[in-house]
Amino acid sequence: MLRLSAPMRLCAKLTMSFVTIEKVTKVYEADGESAAVKVLSDVNIEIVEGEFVCLMGPSGSGKSTLLTIVGAMNHPTTGRVLVDEIDVYGLADERRADFRREYLGFVFQQHHLMPYLNSLENAMLPLATASMSSREKRERAMNVLDKVGLADKASRLPNQLSGGEQGRLAIARAIVNEPPLILADEPTGSLDTKTGHEVMEVFLKLNAPRQTVFMVTHNPENSALAHRIINIVDGRIA
Amino acid sequence: MRISTIAFANLKRRKGKAVFLTIGIAIGIGTAVALLSLSSSIKEEIGSQLDRFGANIVVVPQSNNLSLDYGGLSVSSVSFDVKQLKNEDAKNVLDIPFRNRISNVSPKLLGAVAVEGRDILLAGVDFESELMLKRWWHIAGRKPENEQDLLVGYEVARALSLIESTTPATAQHVSHGGSHDPGEDKSQFKIVRDHLKVAGKDHNVAGVISQTGGPEDQMIFGSLAHVQSLLNKPDQLSLIEVSALCKDCPIGDIVAQISERLPQAKVSAIQQSVRARSETVERLTRFSGAVAAVVLAIGALMIFTTMMGSVIERTKEIGVLRAIGFRRTHIIKGLMIEVAVISVLGGVLGWGAGMLASWFALPYFAETGVAFEFQPLLAIVAVAAGLIIGTVSSFYPIVRASRLDPSEAVRYV
Repeated sequence: MLRLSAPMRLCAKLTMSFVTIEKVTKVYEADGESAAVKVLSDVNIEIVEGEFVCLMGPSGSGKSTLLTIVGAMNHPTTGRVLVDEIDVYGLADERRADFRREYLGFVFQQHHLMPYLNSLENAMLPLATASMSSREKRERAMNVLDKVGLADKASRLPNQLSGGEQGRLAIARAIVNEPPLILADEPTGSLDTKTGHEVMEVFLKLNAPRQTVFMVTHNPENSALAHRIINIVDGRIA
Repeated sequence: MRISTIAFANLKRRKGKAVFLTIGIAIGIGTAVALLSLSSSIKEEIGSQLDRFGANIVVVPQSNNLSLDYGGLSVSSVSFDVKQLKNEDAKNVLDIPFRNRISNVSPKLLGAVAVEGRDILLAGVDFESELMLKRWWHIAGRKPENEQDLLVGYEVARALSLIESTTPATAQHVSHGGSHDPGEDKSQFKIVRDHLKVAGKDHNVAGVISQTGGPEDQMIFGSLAHVQSLLNKPDQLSLIEVSALCKDCPIGDIVAQISERLPQAKVSAIQQSVRARSETVERLTRFSGAVAAVVLAIGALMIFTTMMGSVIERTKEIGVLRAIGFRRTHIIKGLMIEVAVISVLGGVLGWGAGMLASWFALPYFAETGVAFEFQPLLAIVAVAAGLIIGTVSSFYPIVRASRLDPSEAVRYV
């Protein structure tokens, strides 16, 4: 619906960046208990389609805030974000929800899986509002579970999965509607080294068919796998 | 996977809360159903009792010449009126389409007679229907049994020295309804003379009506046929008192039907009695309605607070759903499905419980064996009320949930 047609996208890919973060500033206003905080200052980033970009920086540097701004969830105070030439914050609230469904796949640090849904249902969650048959939704969800190596655990609840499996399930949910942009907020942050590697392998696989990945991480091993590393310090690109 | 799948999965997951909410709605709806059902049955009983307690329609001959007064009602003078009421007219009252609504027809002939040198109003009545109509009469003595028997009003009895004052213990009483309560002893007198000459003929004083403060205190009552003969007015009536059960029919309709059946008569409703009945019944309805409303309001408040708690508890979940592309309307739809399922279930259970409760409670509230009514319409209303209360009281928490900032919601954990 919101996506550009194939020829237009090809044209866009060749001539301009897929994600453009333009002069973005974010200030959290004073709320009586705390003073106003400027989290991001004049951030400019361009990411081309298919690129795997890692955003690194110390705690409180504004990494997660920037990710939620790119994720169409957090209105910047100034500046704008373009994804596939769409001015994300120029969209009305409900259209922005459609944009998130069509364009973005989120992977949260804590995975945020629905504890009352099994793996298949969790993977299917972004398709709940899509107008397609239940069979098609099921097939697509099984397909992504297979991609992340969880096909045999489709009927398990999240608490019956290991940490690494939960991370892979979160990725499955993020990619089930085949979004062109994956946003990941420290996806291995809560995992041990071995399971962290498991999850990163999945990201690399995803990136192969030119899915753009924008990942926030603290982990230098993870960032070493990226095409590009962007450092952020005190809300500014270093 | 649809939004409803998530809603049902959520209900299954939070069984305890869902059951608590369902019970809350069921209690509210059940109390309201029980109250309304009970009040509807009791209302019918009270209405019927009030209808039987005195007349609410009076039929008099058509005349402009008003000369006699009976209980505040002007009664045409029989002697000058051309259009007389006949015995047959009393029977004709029972021929109207709403005849099953008429509980009592009491014909009367009134006339002044000389009694031991005094002019006294003599009423010829059908004692059976008259005593049924005047349930508040307390009779010292016995009920009239033959044509010579009279009932004498308190003031007349006193003036003619038929009674003398005594202590309550020695007073003789008969309650015409056969349910005399000694605790309600009001007439402190005893009959000292049981013979009376009326219009020159000897009669028996069967009983004296205890003081009522009404017109009967000044009257003597004899059997209708006998009084007609005494007054030399065979087959004639002065008025007909009618008691109508007017629960589901306006009294005006009954009046119109009697007027049509008796074109020579003037039929009027005793507005005071009709208004008193309708006010009593209305008060009962209003009271039940108010109690039901309070119970439902408490139920609604409970749903509101539970839903607010539930929304706070599910902040993260709602944030995640918003982050992966659920619109506000999708969030509202999902939560509304949950509330609707709980509300409908609560409504059905509440209706069942309310009907059961009123079925058990009815014998303790209604004396005359009012039939328990199965009301399918009440079931529909109960379920609809459950749904309305559930959705209205959840509306604000649900809208608030849909407005959660997804980035804030996800940041909570």
